[in-house]
Amino acid sequence: MPPSQDPFYAGLGQAVRIGTDLLASLIVGGGLGWVLDTYLLDSTPWGMVVGLVLGVIAGIRNAYRSAMRWPGSPPDTESKG
Amino acid sequence: MEESPLHPFELHNYIPLSVGGIDISINKAVIIMWVVVALVAFLMLKAGSARQLVPGKLQSLGEMLVDFVRGIILDTMGKDGMRFFPLIATLFLFILFCNLIGLIPGSYTVTSQIVVTAVFACVVYGLSLVMGFLLHGAKFLGILVPPGTPGWLLPLMIPIELISQLARPISLAVRLFANMTAGHVILGVLFGLAISGGLLIGWLPFAFTIAMNGLEVGIAFIQAYIFTVLTCVYLGDAFHLHGHDDHAH
Repeated sequence: MPPSQDPFYAGLGQAVRIGTDLLASLIVGGGLGWVLDTYLLDSTPWGMVVGLVLGVIAGIRNAYRSAMRWPGSPPDTESKG
Repeated sequence: MEESPLHPFELHNYIPLSVGGIDISINKAVIIMWVVVALVAFLMLKAGSARQLVPGKLQSLGEMLVDFVRGIILDTMGKDGMRFFPLIATLFLFILFCNLIGLIPGSYTVTSQIVVTAVFACVVYGLSLVMGFLLHGAKFLGILVPPGTPGWLLPLMIPIELISQLARPISLAVRLFANMTAGHVILGVLFGLAISGGLLIGWLPFAFTIAMNGLEVGIAFIQAYIFTVLTCVYLGDAFHLHGHDDHAH
């Protein structure tokens, strides 16, 4: 069996992935909002607030999406659609 | 005796060099990278030169590594991803050996420097952007609009998709860097405890150090694997626009 199809590694890989994906979207969302605030729009708290909220949404959405494509999960669910 | 757990990550220049104001000094990380490049090149050349039907030890190792990367590419990108095989295999082998060589006491983990991982991530993500725009032109911007989005949701979905796209290189870089750094900090702290604990109680953290070292070997492998898989996924997304569901088999 090629190791890339080993469910242990594939599952561990997915698990390690999701945590950082959540964090990274938060960083990017907050960062973009902060840049908009300080350099472009001068609207101090609001860009970062909106950016952080969007970042959280994006992170959770990504986590949901990769959970739906979980390797080794039963193939009948949404992953086929 | 009191030493910061981050002390092993400090770099000191061995040979200060500077070309046109750019600092290209030789330090430990650079030397370790040279060692890794030489090691990987030697290993793969030696393994590839045997070409026996019944492979020897080295040839089996080489074939296993190459086959592993090939499996990842075929799983995530399909047949047309094989043209990226040299790049992806090189990345995988380099990261894997950097991670592994860092576990040798007295050595240095190059991948615990965020500069290194960020460069890898930027190369991969930049390549996927270039590929996407070359293949699809302006239509590639459609990657920001998930299929089946109703029109009134567009002002919300485009920023969200933009954020999750921009998060890709960051998560790629931060994941590798954070995992390698954290692992080595834990090893350092545990070993410090073992030394300061003395014989009476010091054996306990020392045993944990050994167990953690074993775990770190696994993590070194898994992080290289994740980096490779995500490289393939991002390049694949640039290939098959909205192909998320096509290659989920």
